[in-house]
Amino acid sequence: MGILSALLWTPAVGALIIIFTPNHHTQLIRWIANIVTTLSFLISCFVIAAYDQGNAALQFSEYFTLNPKLGGAYALGLDGLSAPLIVLATLLTSVALLASFSQTKEIKGYHICILMLEFGMLGVFLSQDWRFFYIFWELTLIPLFILIDRWGGKRRHAASLNFVLYTMGGSVFMLLSLIAIYQYVPGHDSLMTKMSLAARHMPQHLQVLAFLGFLVGFGVKMPIFPLHGWLPLAHVEAPSPISILLSGILLKMGAYGLIRTVTMLPEAAHVLQSLLVFLALFGMIYGGLLAWRQTDLKAMVAYSSVSHMGIVLLGIAALNETGLKGAVLQMVAHGLIAGAMFLLVGLLYERTHTRNIQDYSSLVQVMPRFAVFMTLTLFAAMGLPGSVGFIAELHTLIGGYQRWGWLMALFSISILISAAYAIRTIALLFTGPVRPQLQHIQDLRPFELIAAGILVSGILLFGLFPAPLIELSTSTLAVLGHQESTGL
Amino acid sequence: MDALVILIPLMPFLAAVMIGTGHLFGVIKGETSETFTSLTASWAISMSCLLALALLGADFLQRNNGTFDVGLWLSSDTFECALNFVTTGFNVKLAALFAVLLMIFMRFSINYMHREAGFHRFFFILSLFSSAMLLLVLSGSVLGTFVGWELAGLCSYLLIAYAYDRPVAVANATRVFVTNRIGDAGFILGVGLSYAWAGSVNWADLNAAAADLSKGEATAIGLCFTIAAMAKSAQLPFSPWLARAMEGPTPSSAAFYGAVMIHAGVFLIIMLAPLIGQTPLVMGLLIFSGSTTSLYSYFIGLTQADVKSSQVFATSGQLGLMFLECGLGFWELASWHLCAHAVVRCYLVLTAPSIMHNVKDVPIKPVSAMLANKHWLFVASIQRFWVEQITDWALVKPVRHLARDLSYFDDSIVDRLMGAPAPAMSVASSLAQLEGRTLGASLENGNNSFATGTGLIGAFAGWIAGLVHWFEDRLVLQGISKDALYFGREMGHLANKFEVLVLRPRYLVLLVFITLLVAF
Repeated sequence: MGILSALLWTPAVGALIIIFTPNHHTQLIRWIANIVTTLSFLISCFVIAAYDQGNAALQFSEYFTLNPKLGGAYALGLDGLSAPLIVLATLLTSVALLASFSQTKEIKGYHICILMLEFGMLGVFLSQDWRFFYIFWELTLIPLFILIDRWGGKRRHAASLNFVLYTMGGSVFMLLSLIAIYQYVPGHDSLMTKMSLAARHMPQHLQVLAFLGFLVGFGVKMPIFPLHGWLPLAHVEAPSPISILLSGILLKMGAYGLIRTVTMLPEAAHVLQSLLVFLALFGMIYGGLLAWRQTDLKAMVAYSSVSHMGIVLLGIAALNETGLKGAVLQMVAHGLIAGAMFLLVGLLYERTHTRNIQDYSSLVQVMPRFAVFMTLTLFAAMGLPGSVGFIAELHTLIGGYQRWGWLMALFSISILISAAYAIRTIALLFTGPVRPQLQHIQDLRPFELIAAGILVSGILLFGLFPAPLIELSTSTLAVLGHQESTGL
Repeated sequence: MDALVILIPLMPFLAAVMIGTGHLFGVIKGETSETFTSLTASWAISMSCLLALALLGADFLQRNNGTFDVGLWLSSDTFECALNFVTTGFNVKLAALFAVLLMIFMRFSINYMHREAGFHRFFFILSLFSSAMLLLVLSGSVLGTFVGWELAGLCSYLLIAYAYDRPVAVANATRVFVTNRIGDAGFILGVGLSYAWAGSVNWADLNAAAADLSKGEATAIGLCFTIAAMAKSAQLPFSPWLARAMEGPTPSSAAFYGAVMIHAGVFLIIMLAPLIGQTPLVMGLLIFSGSTTSLYSYFIGLTQADVKSSQVFATSGQLGLMFLECGLGFWELASWHLCAHAVVRCYLVLTAPSIMHNVKDVPIKPVSAMLANKHWLFVASIQRFWVEQITDWALVKPVRHLARDLSYFDDSIVDRLMGAPAPAMSVASSLAQLEGRTLGASLENGNNSFATGTGLIGAFAGWIAGLVHWFEDRLVLQGISKDALYFGREMGHLANKFEVLVLRPRYLVLLVFITLLVAF
């Protein structure tokens, strides 16, 4: 058993242990879950430390044939594309658990679901077999559905149902595309590398159709306008720790899948490039304008996610190395920023039980630590230099400019809009007259301080010293970018 | 010996830093710290005075190399600016003279400023000024000189506005500073042109390259520096600032406008003698402005009734003579005139407060009868030839009108289009504002006023956002999820109904019959 298997199965084993822990030992359950997530975070750090950045090929590969007749295999591997994402996944799960200490209802089920969710997410990022990938993709749905439906807000039933219907609907198209490509694989194998080779031999119109199928499947998750209908409701209704995971990692699964698709079907990507760019730019401005209109803080962050994931799509659609780098960086950046934002908004909501931004004023006096973290995060969200958001946006902008030139003015407009709502949020939350009812809010507690501190220091650290983050995926992206741009 | 030159401007600078930081952090304050401040400042300037004299001695013994390079200050592409000093010739003589004079001012000020509010501030500025002047004189590069030039100008501004609670002082300080900025613009332009045409910003290289410059280039560079010099040395049409500058405390007036800073302009011209010497146009300008300024100062000086004003116009008259000498090519004479005038004027201005006492019972000699009868000349002299009014009318008024028009354009067109830059969400920043809003604007509907911008673009953004919101709400959120759910439920009901119908016995029997019929 390799190190990747250890990483993958740690949360599953943790969930199993919790199943056999008696219900009333809530503290024990919390600690087991926290230890397990910390352990998987440490393993992922170890994997990254051992990862050879100069090597573009798959590393730590593991391969067992499961079903010789149909060709399904347990294949794990890590390359520069998935490396940052597994660390992000384990980190954000730890943060989400740190933020869950105030959760009091049905602790056991809650923690089992979160660990299963982590298991699913890691599986998606690690598997190198499309069949395996699809299983894990669907596996994430179940714990999420339960988490939103059991522990969510007022409209949780509608939200969870909506979420599952959208994602299942998308998955159907993805499955169709997978089967279409599978037909062309000689030895009935669903390994990613073999599928990629086989996809080259498909007729072009079939490639385009298959690509559209993937676009719908991953686009729902990412989300791409107009398939984002599930997102506002799910983000708003989910409990805050789940919102962190949802926007921090679940959305990245869509983008990750899309990048794999683009490298598998480069010809089709070139045919549909204009469509992708249009969707990206339109989605960015659309999400930004809607975020600007929201009075609900969580809804604002949710729509800003739509806008920020548009940047990822734009980077992918540039179909060159710089753009791809921008997309990967933006995935990490948005994971940290949206995670921090949902965390902080959730903590604020716990204290005041209102998400309406107009109810707040002059919080800086009672919650100075919260104010510092929130302001830094919002600055990062609008891509201020010194934050990781800036590095990502810059790469995407350069990649997009190389391909599309002055069309990137629209990109700037969307950044401008994001600056408008970020600054307004800061102004409304922290300035203004002092209100008596907001005078007795507690500032961040130690555990919350650690959780927020990890994310915000990540935002600043990678903003000031982005080289290690960029180096991590450079060699893989150079190969992928070459495949993309030449279609070979 | 060359290396000593660094310390000459550095000593007073360190003193200024010490006094400044001490005063800033409240360590130095009040009468008890006066001794510390005065000792620091006077020791520093005494040290640099001794060093300057030592350097001068070494220069006389011909022990100096001529320049001292500290290192590269800044390099960008082909542009390089070294931090270097001149250690021979006129620069060193002038530095020694200025250092001695500055030491005298410093010593004089200790008693003069005793128990004044702002004692520490005064010594901070005076030390900084000493450092700036010595840097100006000793620097080997034009940029170093410019740094000293600007710092000295800033100190002059700060000391004219020494009594900053008096509006007159502040207004005068501003006026002086702004007038000097015209000269600074010329200086910067001169530096740029020197680099562009002569390829260097070192005094020595610039003067050496002067012979290779074309007539037009040399004239342009010379003109730029001459304008800077005229502004600093209060030549026409810049003269009026000097009278306004007498607002500050006496020792500072003596240091700045009697003995030291006022001569910086003449110094600049003398430094550029090889370059200016080959451009007749600039020489002509020097002759013209020098002679008119001396005449102007002479006639105005005749009618001045107070000591300080007489001194001011005597100073500008003498400076005019120096400019005239430069223009005629008597560089050596001009430099001697500069040194002599510095010493004499230092004495005259410092003794100005006690001069009334000294000249008691000695009547002022009346002017000659021929002049005394010219009434129009008297009026013109009293009005100082309306120079200030003319510049106001020709420069200040048009600028003010332009500013007003631009401000109108900004308010009524740009702001309306782009939205006001003021807090866009009109967040009430004080309780009073909040109260005002709740009292006055009761129609405010939270949701409608939330996402609105100001100006045309803001309104456009708001409108688009509204449209997008409607689309999202109606089609994406309700259309797909709610309506689809509703539709699905309806379909389910239909299917249920059908199922129920089909399973009724009579239809079941019918179905069986039909099947049998089809089968056979």
